[in-house]
Amino acid sequence: MSGKQSKAFTKEEELLLQDFSRNVSTKSSALFYGNAFIVSAIPIWLFWRIHMIDLYSSVISFIAVTLASTYLVALAYKNTKFVLKHKVAVKREEAVTREMTRKLAEDKKMSKKEKDERILWKKNEVADYEATTFSIFYNNALFLALVIFCSFYILRTFTPAVNYVLSVGAAGGLLALLSTGSQ
Amino acid sequence: MVYGNMFIIVSVLAVSKFALADVCSKPEVSASAYTTQDATVLTDVAFVAEFTLNCGNHVTRLPLYAEVNGKMLPAAMVEDDDGYQISWTEDVKKAKRGDYSVILYDEEGYAALRKAIRNGEDPSSIKSLVTIVVNYPGAYNGPWLNSEFIAAILSVVVWYLAFSARSKLLA
Repeated sequence: MSGKQSKAFTKEEELLLQDFSRNVSTKSSALFYGNAFIVSAIPIWLFWRIHMIDLYSSVISFIAVTLASTYLVALAYKNTKFVLKHKVAVKREEAVTREMTRKLAEDKKMSKKEKDERILWKKNEVADYEATTFSIFYNNALFLALVIFCSFYILRTFTPAVNYVLSVGAAGGLLALLSTGSQ
Repeated sequence: MVYGNMFIIVSVLAVSKFALADVCSKPEVSASAYTTQDATVLTDVAFVAEFTLNCGNHVTRLPLYAEVNGKMLPAAMVEDDDGYQISWTEDVKKAKRGDYSVILYDEEGYAALRKAIRNGEDPSSIKSLVTIVVNYPGAYNGPWLNSEFIAAILSVVVWYLAFSARSKLLA
């Protein structure tokens, strides 16, 4: 991913930072969808063991809700990552530059331009990694908190089947909605 | 005529014997009690008091009545001699911990008590037979903090940590 992208970057940092696109790489996307699927499937256990939902009659709603929620949670991951990446890049800029400069100082043969490019590439990588992992953590925490709160308190009077669809659906929807905010 | 007099004497004797037998002098009571311990899925707490009554004049199988917190209850006789049982229930939420005084009356006292209550007099002035105390230490109503509450609190704490970390990053 980085090799292809680093060529497109100009040397100016501002440009680089703005160049971070909302599109995520395949690797990152797989990470997002994998995580989103796991976290969307976890409530099934909660409803099975705690809310005593009937497992066999709810298979269709399990599949449908898990898929929908996977999509919504992955969307939230992407949005949150996009918002965070810029900020993380700015925050970590200095440290990354310092470290890379020290590392590359020994290499006399490397041109200044190449060194700068490497620093930029590293910055992008660090920011991307931190934003990705943090986005997963933040959204998982929020999603599970929403599911627990909805299913145990707001929708507790509903039957488990309805409770499942509504609480997981609402948590996924709310998560996606909240992630679209700029802050 | 002579027979008639005899009959009257016999019946007076019989009645007086019966009347005498109806009173328990120097009552001694030994009681044991049971109260509900686990009220997790119950709506009412049960109180059961079992006691044996020994009278100084060896009277047995007296019909007894009890008064608990203004409630009137008949005491059931248990198979073996002198054994009685009193039971009642109270709403789980209304049942207070502590001692419950079960005031026992014989038939005479019970009639007087009812009369006193009917006339709006103070029922405590009626002479009771004996009082037994049932202690209710409270029933288990489920854990103090239930697990979904703990789960909700923990999830909110984790989310708050994530949120504050995010705010720090975005600041």
